[in-house]
Amino acid sequence: MAVIEIKDVKKTYGHGSAQVEALKKINFEANRSEVVLIMGPSGSGKSTFLTIAGSLQKPTAGQVFVNGEDITHFSAQQSSSLRLNKIGFVLQAYNLVPFLTVRKQFVLVDKVKKNNNLSQAKLNQLFNELGITKLIDKYPQELSGGQQQRVAIARALYANPEILLADEPTASLDTSNVEEVGKLFKRLAKEHNKAIMLVTHDPRLEKYADHIYDMMDGKLVKQK
Amino acid sequence: MFLAFEEIKKEKKRYGLIVLMIFLVSYLIFLLSSLAIGLQNENTQAIDSWGIQRVVLNKNANISMPQSILTNKDTTDTKIGKKESVIGQLPVVVKAAGRSSLTAQFLGIKKGQFIYQDQQLVAGRRAQKNDEVTVDETFKTVNHYRLGDQLELNISGQKYKIVGFVNGAKINMLPIIYGDLSVWQTARQTVPNVAFSGIVSKDRHYTYNHLDAKTYSVKTFVNKLTGYAIQKTTFTLMIAFLFLISMVIIAVFLYILTLQKLHNFAVMRAQGISTRTLVNAVISQSLLLTVTGVVLALLCMWLTVAILPAAVPMNFAPTIIISGSLGMLITGIIGGLIPVRSIIKIDPAQAI
Ligand SMILES: Nc1ncnc2c1ncn2[C@@H]1O[C@H](COP(=O)(O)OP(=O)(O)OP(=O)(O)O)[C@@H](O)[C@H]1O
Ligand SMILES: [Mg+2]
Repeated sequence: MAVIEIKDVKKTYGHGSAQVEALKKINFEANRSEVVLIMGPSGSGKSTFLTIAGSLQKPTAGQVFVNGEDITHFSAQQSSSLRLNKIGFVLQAYNLVPFLTVRKQFVLVDKVKKNNNLSQAKLNQLFNELGITKLIDKYPQELSGGQQQRVAIARALYANPEILLADEPTASLDTSNVEEVGKLFKRLAKEHNKAIMLVTHDPRLEKYADHIYDMMDGKLVKQK
Repeated sequence: MFLAFEEIKKEKKRYGLIVLMIFLVSYLIFLLSSLAIGLQNENTQAIDSWGIQRVVLNKNANISMPQSILTNKDTTDTKIGKKESVIGQLPVVVKAAGRSSLTAQFLGIKKGQFIYQDQQLVAGRRAQKNDEVTVDETFKTVNHYRLGDQLELNISGQKYKIVGFVNGAKINMLPIIYGDLSVWQTARQTVPNVAFSGIVSKDRHYTYNHLDAKTYSVKTFVNKLTGYAIQKTTFTLMIAFLFLISMVIIAVFLYILTLQKLHNFAVMRAQGISTRTLVNAVISQSLLLTVTGVVLALLCMWLTVAILPAAVPMNFAPTIIISGSLGMLITGIIGGLIPVRSIIKIDPAQAI
């Protein structure tokens, strides 16, 4: 069974003449142990698609299933709990809390989600792989874009989600970091059985993907 | 609490300023209320210290003790027991060698009655002879009189010796001079057969209505003190508005503070953190800031009380401490609660 299944999803923003059809009847599936890449030009609807898949916002029409459960009409509280427990997000604008140091970002996760987070040893290993061990006492504003991005990835993975959704996770990274992050994603999918969806422009990630889709003007086309 | 505290730690300057504002506003409230109550207490300090319930005065005196004269005829049937004291009151001008004159209230009382007995002396002793007086403490603390000093009163040619200082002996804003009733009788001898101005009683049921004598409740009596009622209204309104406006200001500040953080909240909502956690964080933060501000203001008030000159009437009463602090805390909670609606309505997609 697909971990995420998207059926005939449409998303329209605004009303009247300002109306934008960001997604036009999309069908899609993501499975465990797979890395899926969604590529496409700016404004084509990639972020919209990812946030609907992760229950950050609701589709205008169509259905979204997570593990076979229809989450389309989840309440705000249900969505919130789903995101906390099953889904890790790395958003385009990163999503670190500005007044918490890197270390405290993880303490916050511990405070709101008591179970099934990574062990300290695994977290340290993750920090090493991502090259952010030395940054743990810094505030987000003291980090470069790429460093924030890697911290955001670590934070999303710390809660040990079944699904990882990442929006341009490598936009500010240099090639060696991209390789690290790509390998990490691949390993998480293969060894830890996670479903990983990456929205990206970055062709350097293509070699780690099991499937590649192109988003064009609100329509999804499978490439690989 | 974690979020509330961590945020304050990060934005020390911003939250420092908010605490400073809460501190200043609370201090202002405490200070002005204490001054108002202190000033107002000077009207009734002595009356409060006597603990009386009823006052008998001449019914034509407009419920004013200094205006009241009861004659022997009016008072033939009075029962003066342990709970009653008779008083002869007259405003006087006090002169002493090498000092500027000052206005006071002379209260002629009788030895053995409760006002005489219950005087709370801070120094010296009670008057024994007719030319001895005890006076309000401020004679000492403000005007630097000493035990043994001689006073000249404009109601007689005689001199009177201060033998004691009494705590809280003020009536209608003026310091009291307690002397013997016979001094008052002599000063009032133009009226034949004067007895005294009135009777005060601690007994709630004490009544004596005979000829010109009429009984009033202490409440009626106090409300008729010159300027008392209007002062009370003024002060009550002043403090009420001070409170209200301060509360609105602080609540608005806390509200703006929260509104500025909505984006952070959206980020956390996207991470799956529940609205309740965020609401708790906001309210506990408001409380933390308010408590800090109020505690600082209380400390500062105690300092102020300690260093303020005795001449300034100030009463930092427990009622002020309690109602002021509670009022501020409630303000803090309200200030935290108003934006809750905005927090609940946050769209986590705003974090994109
Ligand atoms: N909240 C919104 N309100 C109105 N229109 C929106 C909103 N979010 C996105 N859009 C519009 O929907 C379309 C798709 O936007 P989306 O953010 O999904 O694009 P994207 O593929 O992620 O682009 P980029 O690569 O630049 O991030 C765009 O035309 C955008 O202007
Ligand atoms: Mg985007």
